[in-house]
Amino acid sequence: MSSSLIRVIRNIRRVGLKDYFRQLNAIGDTKYGRLVGVDRYGNKFFENTTEDEIHMRTRWVQYKEWYYDVSQIEPGWHGWLGYLVDTPPNQLSPEQKTVRKYPTPEVVPNGTGTRNAYVPYSTVKPKVSMWSPTVKERTA
Amino acid sequence: MIRRVLTSRSAAAASYLLSPPSTVPAILAPYASRALSTTSPSSAKVPAVRSTLPTDYPLPSQQKPQNVIDYAMTTLDAIANWARQGSFWPMTFGLACCAVEMMHLSGPRYDQDRVGIIFRASPRQSDIMIVAGTLTNKMAPALRQVYDQMPEPRWVISMGSCANGGGYYHYSYSVVRGCDRIVPVDVYVPGCPPTSEALMYGVLQLQKKMRLQKITRLWYRSR
Repeated sequence: MSSSLIRVIRNIRRVGLKDYFRQLNAIGDTKYGRLVGVDRYGNKFFENTTEDEIHMRTRWVQYKEWYYDVSQIEPGWHGWLGYLVDTPPNQLSPEQKTVRKYPTPEVVPNGTGTRNAYVPYSTVKPKVSMWSPTVKERTA
Repeated sequence: MIRRVLTSRSAAAASYLLSPPSTVPAILAPYASRALSTTSPSSAKVPAVRSTLPTDYPLPSQQKPQNVIDYAMTTLDAIANWARQGSFWPMTFGLACCAVEMMHLSGPRYDQDRVGIIFRASPRQSDIMIVAGTLTNKMAPALRQVYDQMPEPRWVISMGSCANGGGYYHYSYSVVRGCDRIVPVDVYVPGCPPTSEALMYGVLQLQKKMRLQKITRLWYRSR
């Protein structure tokens, strides 16, 4: 259901004031649900399917960082969060898990504006070359 | 056989590279002094340009406040940046199909109002300009004029590959190859067209850029 005063007060009593302010910063709502899992970055994922939450708002994330970014979420959890899959990545059986040939060692968030920013460089030969004028020595 | 050919070729290349200046082929003679400038006596005329500036220094966003004035300026900056992030009023500059995705951002699903984005019809009331779509040569002066009418501080989001670099119409006779040839761009959103989520992420990146700005601190340091 949409936000009502009774629901907000009920959920504040359940999650506590600290999480209440974190949720106001992140999702602008006061939600309470079952902790489904924590990804490698430290984000917590919640789900509430028993109570009357709005359709497609039954799964949400509580970011580890205050200045959160969606690139901090692991890909598998991101799929679960967007209702791509119903099984969260921490409940997959070993034969269901994808084994990558080159596994990513850790979650690498978007580094734009920081030291980790992506800096492109060109690998093609430059089409324009510098002209350095050379003067012949005078012989006279 | 192939291996032998390869080795002989590479050996020839190595011998060519390592050959002394006297054995440079005649066709390369004019360039010999430039190519081997370390050994040539004529290299003194062309000084080697090498920057002595330090390359390993902290970014402005990494510098920590050190004294009371720094802390006060940091707080003032935080207030100003918070206000700027919260009143993110873009100038509506929809040019092509990207504008449809921009409209979806204002719809109920992505709901831009919850982060303080309100589209303005006048450039004098807006802070941001979202260039959404193909910028043609005919539209470019109008875009620049609208940008010039926006009050400082102002930011520009380039949305879609057409606005980023011409995109599909890069080789057209009538299209500007990127709106950054007309206005300074802060955030480029890739895609053809980008989804509304991608534009939202670009908006969040621009808010991050606003958050890292240091207005009064740079003013104080530059004095």
